[in-house]
Amino acid sequence: MNTQSILRELVSKEIISERQASMISEYETAKPLSVHWELRFMLYVGILLFNSGLGIIIYDNIDSIGHQAIIAGIALLTAACFYYAYRKSHPYSPDEVLNSSKLQEYVLLLGCVSFLALEGYLQFQYKLFGSRYGLAVLIPTVLFFACAYRFDHRGVLSMAVTGLASWLGLTIAPLSVVSGNNLTDLKILNSAIVLGTLLSVTGWLSEKLRIKKHFSYTYIFLGGNLAALAALSGLINQPYKVVYAILSFAFCLFFVLNARRMQSHLFLLLGVIYAYITVTYLIFFRISEDVYFSLMTVYLTVSSIGVIYFLLNFKKILGTAR
Amino acid sequence: MKKPYNLNWIRNIEIQRRATDWASKKLLEEPQLKTIKAEFQAHFYRPNFFVKIGLFLFALIGSAFFMGFVFLFLTDSNITDRGFAMISLLFAGFFIFFLERQIKLSKLFHSGVDNALLYVSITLIFVPVFLLFNNLKIWQYALFLFIPLSIATIRYADILTAASSFLALFVTLGNFLMNFSGGTLILPFAVMLMAACIYFAVRNNTSIYYANCRKIIEILSLAVFYLGGNYLIVREGNALLTHQASSVSRQIPFAPVFYLFTIVIPFSYILMGVRKKDRILLNTGLLATAFSVVTFGHYFSPFTAAQNIFISGLALILFSAALIRYLHKPKHGISDEPEKRNVPDELKSILIAQTLGQDPETKGINFGGGNFGGGGAGEVY
Repeated sequence: MNTQSILRELVSKEIISERQASMISEYETAKPLSVHWELRFMLYVGILLFNSGLGIIIYDNIDSIGHQAIIAGIALLTAACFYYAYRKSHPYSPDEVLNSSKLQEYVLLLGCVSFLALEGYLQFQYKLFGSRYGLAVLIPTVLFFACAYRFDHRGVLSMAVTGLASWLGLTIAPLSVVSGNNLTDLKILNSAIVLGTLLSVTGWLSEKLRIKKHFSYTYIFLGGNLAALAALSGLINQPYKVVYAILSFAFCLFFVLNARRMQSHLFLLLGVIYAYITVTYLIFFRISEDVYFSLMTVYLTVSSIGVIYFLLNFKKILGTAR
Repeated sequence: MKKPYNLNWIRNIEIQRRATDWASKKLLEEPQLKTIKAEFQAHFYRPNFFVKIGLFLFALIGSAFFMGFVFLFLTDSNITDRGFAMISLLFAGFFIFFLERQIKLSKLFHSGVDNALLYVSITLIFVPVFLLFNNLKIWQYALFLFIPLSIATIRYADILTAASSFLALFVTLGNFLMNFSGGTLILPFAVMLMAACIYFAVRNNTSIYYANCRKIIEILSLAVFYLGGNYLIVREGNALLTHQASSVSRQIPFAPVFYLFTIVIPFSYILMGVRKKDRILLNTGLLATAFSVVTFGHYFSPFTAAQNIFISGLALILFSAALIRYLHKPKHGISDEPEKRNVPDELKSILIAQTLGQDPETKGINFGGGNFGGGGAGEVY
């Protein structure tokens, strides 16, 4: 099956005319190969490599190369990036701003990354902030939040959110929530729940108040994921299981409701998986070992079929359009 | 042989996809697109990617514990290997039957559930091979794996079974050649030859049923062809296979030939990719180029690893930025027009949080080094 055979079939069914068919086949042979995503990907990997390489170089040569030159170099780069991003930007608007410049988005990202390198260098070499580490994290966080809203950049927004979390001593990057945080520590666990809830509420509010509505996804995903995992960990490791169970269910419900509202299947998946773990844990944590295995096999078989049935029919159950 | 999935629907999906593209380029009128969609219908249950993951996971859990449950009744503590193998095959038969039925009933088409059932059945078919034959050579096991995997690929057109049967075949070849004294010497050439043969063989298959399998095999055979001739792989692989004691691997015979392969293959992939407008060739070529840079950097670079990373990052940024500016109008048959959003903006921001975000370990001294290495590369690709 190829373009020609499809066109022939469409012509013979009299859906399109001969003239249209020849126009389409002309378009198919002439159409250029788009390397849009390849180029964006290379640019992003370039920024990633640049950032890690720069970090290690500074660290390795901290005593041997001219400090002034390095600081000047990075500062110049940062300033140039922010200037470029500013020059090419449209004025602030609470709606989504589609940028006409092709590179601005990435230049801004590079600027933010090199700002972090610059700040880190100043702190390491000159103890700019002394032992007030909090301040050192807070400054880029505030700057990134400002940039994210001013230049409408979701990537910088998520960098700001990670900064905010790290100011509170938390790791919020989705794949590192469990490995990066010591969730057995009650203080860390509870601050994770609080931060996650606050971020989720912010996401909900940005949609409600129509201030950068499209940021809501980032807030809810990062915040909700952190809070839900922390609540689950609290349920498993802490006393007061009732409290954490309720919290966990609340976050799952929040995810599923948002899945319905924002048509996000990722939220649906997260809500279902976290709810499933919570329910399974609640059923099994008190059961004695002799009936454990047989009950477990029956339960997991039946419940999986139940979840599959839900996922196959969730459109009807949740009333989503798509 | 009649396929389990409705071939007409698969064709119709492809026709709809192309028609939608033509309509978006104003080559079709809106009513025409509607007529096409009504005329060429497909009734598969095709969920969103994330729903598919959920279905896959829960189908795996469900079938695993279903087996555990039934197993409790079928066996006692003194079951023999032979009995175990029998039960395993019985389960495999049951799951295949269930899979075929479910495909018909729920109109599945690579929807997560059918993938999971297929993988479970194939694993169950493997169990007796490992239980009953204890002393086979690796290539014999690999050949055993290849047979059910390739049959499953032909019937269900699943990309994972396609990829695994491809790999099983290369394990067979590699391990088989190890039995001969000159085996390590001709291994790279044999691997490259077989990869090339497979590449051209699958390219001749034009069936729409296997479109995705064809893509994955094309990618793998291009990659294996390149890696088979890559200097770093051959040199370090050779050191590994001949159990060299020294920490630095020895120079290999025919080294200049492999230098040449390492340089020429990526460029010819890219050139052919651009000329034939073949995205697979182009992307494999780009990745191969990156790996060639790593290869030569590894042996010949005067810089430290960090400097290499920094310089390649800088080069990538400058190169792609320059190309984006250059291509603001399509040139030489390539363009910078966004075709469709295959990476949604939402996920892009999550990726940035994972790869460029700050974490409390660094306490504000962000030297970046700690964040990298999570394999940010694989995730968008």
